[in-house]
Amino acid sequence: MTTPTTALVGLKQRRRASRSRSLRAWYRNGSLMAGIVIVGLLVLVAVLAPVIAPYDPIAQHLEQALESPSAAHWLGTDKYGRDVLSRLIWGARVDLRVGFLAVLIPFVVGSVIGAIAGYVGGIVDTILMRIVDVFFAFPFYVMVIVLVFVLGAGETSIYLAIAAVSWVSYAKIVRGEVIVARQQDYVVAARLGGMSHTRLLVRHIAPNVMSQAVIYAMSDIVMDIMAIVTLGYLGLGIEPPTAEWGSMIVDGQEFITTQWQQTTIPGLVVVVTSLGLSWLGDGISDLLSPDRRR
Amino acid sequence: MRQRNRAAVAAVTAAAALVLAGCSAGGSADTGTAAGGHPKGGVLTMARSADIISMDNTTTFDNNSIHVMQQIMEPLFNVSADGKELEPWLATSYDASEDGKQYTIHLRKGVEFSNGDPMTAKDVVFSINADSATGSSGWGYINAAIDKVSAVDDETVRIDLKYAWAPLIADLSLFSNAIVPADYAGESKKEFYTHPIGTGPFVWDSWKKGQSLSLTANDDYWQKGKPYLDGVKWTVVPDANTRKLQVQGGQVDIDDTPDWSSLSSLKSASGVNAETFKSTQIDYIAFNQQRKPFDDVHVRRAVAYALDRKAMVKAVLFGNGTTANSLLSPGTPYYDAKADGPTFDVEQAKAELAKSSKPNGFTTTLLIRSGDPNQTSIAQIMQSELKEIGITMQIKQLDPTANKQARLAGDFDMAWSAWTMDIPDPDEWTSFAVDPEGGSNSAFTHYDNPDVIAVNKQAQKETDPAKRQELYSELQQKTGDDAFLAYLYYSPYVFASTDKVNDFHVTPLGNYQLADVSKAK
Amino acid sequence: MLHRLRFIPGRLLQAVPVAFGVTIIVFFLSHLLPGNAAIALLGERATKASVAALTEQLGLDRPLWEQYFRFLGQIVHGNLGTSLTYQLPVGELVLQAVPVTLSLLGLALVMALVISIPLASLAASRPNRAGDLVARGFTLVGQGMPQFWVGIMLILLLAVNVRAFPVGGYGDGAGAHLYFLFLPALTLAIAMSPTIIRSLRASMIGVLESEYVGTAKSKGAAGLPLFRDHVLRNAAIPTVSIIGVNLGYLVGGSLVIEKVFALPGLGSLMVNAIFARDFPTIQGVTLFVAIFVVVVGILTDVVYTMLDPRVDLAGGTTP
Repeated sequence: MTTPTTALVGLKQRRRASRSRSLRAWYRNGSLMAGIVIVGLLVLVAVLAPVIAPYDPIAQHLEQALESPSAAHWLGTDKYGRDVLSRLIWGARVDLRVGFLAVLIPFVVGSVIGAIAGYVGGIVDTILMRIVDVFFAFPFYVMVIVLVFVLGAGETSIYLAIAAVSWVSYAKIVRGEVIVARQQDYVVAARLGGMSHTRLLVRHIAPNVMSQAVIYAMSDIVMDIMAIVTLGYLGLGIEPPTAEWGSMIVDGQEFITTQWQQTTIPGLVVVVTSLGLSWLGDGISDLLSPDRRR
Repeated sequence: MRQRNRAAVAAVTAAAALVLAGCSAGGSADTGTAAGGHPKGGVLTMARSADIISMDNTTTFDNNSIHVMQQIMEPLFNVSADGKELEPWLATSYDASEDGKQYTIHLRKGVEFSNGDPMTAKDVVFSINADSATGSSGWGYINAAIDKVSAVDDETVRIDLKYAWAPLIADLSLFSNAIVPADYAGESKKEFYTHPIGTGPFVWDSWKKGQSLSLTANDDYWQKGKPYLDGVKWTVVPDANTRKLQVQGGQVDIDDTPDWSSLSSLKSASGVNAETFKSTQIDYIAFNQQRKPFDDVHVRRAVAYALDRKAMVKAVLFGNGTTANSLLSPGTPYYDAKADGPTFDVEQAKAELAKSSKPNGFTTTLLIRSGDPNQTSIAQIMQSELKEIGITMQIKQLDPTANKQARLAGDFDMAWSAWTMDIPDPDEWTSFAVDPEGGSNSAFTHYDNPDVIAVNKQAQKETDPAKRQELYSELQQKTGDDAFLAYLYYSPYVFASTDKVNDFHVTPLGNYQLADVSKAK
Repeated sequence: MLHRLRFIPGRLLQAVPVAFGVTIIVFFLSHLLPGNAAIALLGERATKASVAALTEQLGLDRPLWEQYFRFLGQIVHGNLGTSLTYQLPVGELVLQAVPVTLSLLGLALVMALVISIPLASLAASRPNRAGDLVARGFTLVGQGMPQFWVGIMLILLLAVNVRAFPVGGYGDGAGAHLYFLFLPALTLAIAMSPTIIRSLRASMIGVLESEYVGTAKSKGAAGLPLFRDHVLRNAAIPTVSIIGVNLGYLVGGSLVIEKVFALPGLGSLMVNAIFARDFPTIQGVTLFVAIFVVVVGILTDVVYTMLDPRVDLAGGTTP
């Protein structure tokens, strides 16, 4: 007969075993490795920008504007004669930094709120979710635009604006997962066995539930980089003359038929970044939910 | 009261009547042009970046609305194609009294509104008064010199002025003084403007907000044979690339604001044209003299000399423009090509800075409107050029309304701005720019030079063209020396169109007459 | 079944304070914006005097509380106020824009599901094989490209080089609308699909390996019925919440697509109103969007309960 206690012990044993299996095999996890390599490379480029970039990213040379790629300028020059490659390298600093920072707070705040709402349920759930609804009912870009207008253009405003609107997605996702999880057998068994709510939430439900949130977070970083690019398209992005992939894509649009590399290459870099982040996300979510084997 | 040189005024008035008589003969010759060479029919589609706001010509300020209403409602006089003169339109001629305070205007016979009612003096009286009534929240200020408007008979109107006022006829050519039916043909003002009725070549059809606005041809237009088109449709297409592609694909006939960078490829592409039209636009940097160090004329001159305007014309306009030397632009009457405002001279800039209160440079901010790539370009180029002489400049971007608010409140160091004339007379701009009483504190700079203000006021009242030219030349020279603004460049209007479109022409004021346009099959 | 839907009336009632909260925040936030509608309308010709005169004419100089209560009073009578920019009823402006946005979103959702479900299933049924890699490749690339860029690319490919579709615009008449909406909806679908695919794939894999499916298989279920009734039903749950998240995001977030494709939808109406400081329109559109999002939220939960009989949304905490 499987008592609640034995079920729980069995559960713990099974999890310990599979987790050590996946931990040992982490370096064999293709996605995770690929993600680490790509993201790591990008971070390295960003950190070493002053050293590896051939030119000053904001120095103008109007006589050399709109040159095609050459030995002197591997990716050509933009309409102010600035070296596109250097701007691409320095741009990594801005985009990676803004992408990560803009996701961190919403992730943490939203997940905590969502977990509490989903687990506790009842009136707490209702109130928290209504607050979430209020923020949620604001269309993302509209809120961001209004906040950027009010706070003035610039990086800080963008963080605040994005954070204010995107925490709700995490809250909703985590709440959804927790609602399903709390009704699972192993949870019921654990509670019958006397485990405290906190321990249950933190050590058992959270790791299983967070995988969806982590997946979302990785794509959210990409979405935030997209948001910055789009804000640039609307004229509200990172201020000039700072080198940043989004503004490079937008500025280069005009020349899509003549100097297509100006808008396409930064776009490709963004795609590669998103590839790396997604693989990283897949890998991390594997680690976090050992019950789901590949 | 101003002194008047009566003989000169009389002479000028007679000359004006002659010129206008000659023009009106030319005007009627226009309408007599044979239809040969002008294909009839077709709807002209123009893609623009934004929608209209309102058809109320007395209270509307945005170009998108203005260009549409000008096809429906017409003024007494209209600006000539070259922007320098006024042609008779709904009026055929005028006489001015010796003291310049009374004008008698003779209306064209046989003009009807599109609802069939004849246009008469009482409609003119009503329309001008309606504009004046809007006061400072509308275009009323343009009629500030008018004391009384009255109908002498059905075809004659008399205007009594409070003081002699040279720009009067030019003011009457403004769209805000366009002629509408008296008492709004029995409707309320608000209702009327939801489907305005005028004497113009086109008639209101429909407006799908945010999407498109359509007008159809007025078959009883007073210029017989025109319009050649069956109708006009303006569409709202916010993205510049999309507009360009629509013209290239023939989905629309005209793109009203193509990118400067695409002009050469558009010109060489088959089936499409890109045309530039001389404008009255001037782009400039305003210095806030309430903020140190811009109260120091040497600082202002230093900045003005440090700017390489040719480089800006090349980098921003892709060569489609000229550097600016004066407060007035070449398309404006009384422009003086010899006025020498500061031009690019780094040595001179350094010398001025050395003489100023900040010989070692300083840090400052340039305010621009967000969302305009041209302004961003100018700002970045300025930033790099000012660095050469030791001035560190930061760029601050605000959306158009916040930007305007900041300038109204005097909350800026330097700000980019531009001006285009609404009437073919420099006064609209010069009073706005150099006279603190012009309502804007001298284009928000708080520039206050009593000599210059006096010259401007004199020029307002002077009706002798030669004397007026002297005064405006003096004004242009003095303002250049004071460098209260740093003039950047004069840029033309540019439109891209398919080659099926004939005779599309834009005046230096930015207006176009679609009655003259025809479309090949 | 209906019994499980008993949470709906309660939620609808809860929508009221949500809408209320939204309007208050938007009202006061938009009044924090520098400048006002008078300045926006007067443009370059604005002078202190003209701004003051027009401000008074538009009623913008009244105290904030008074303006807010006037707005509330109007709502109660079904009147969304008058646009400061156009001097037309906000309701009229919103009603003209809503069908555009809803058709765009509807079409995009259908396209996204058509793209995502097969790809996710293919990926989940044979993880790490060719199909999976293709699906994941698509999602990764699709996610990395900015919407406006995808839009422009689609226009260049399918409307310019090959004249299969028009370059932007909305057209006249229902049939024409669908035709004009094809490319923008596709752009949106490409933007939405990656997250849907990834989430669906992950949860499908989990479900496929679960005891639940094992049991069903041992009972003889296989192929499409297995897939549809067992795998998809369960895997869809977290994905439904993600779709719900996306839709809310898109109602106003469609503004980029609307700009590229020249569509007169809610996104552009809202953005133009913000630029023009047209408070009544900002509030009117926000109210509409808020209600729409709440309704989508309720529908999402309805789909939850339909898909997973174990989920009881009307219940309280676990024992």
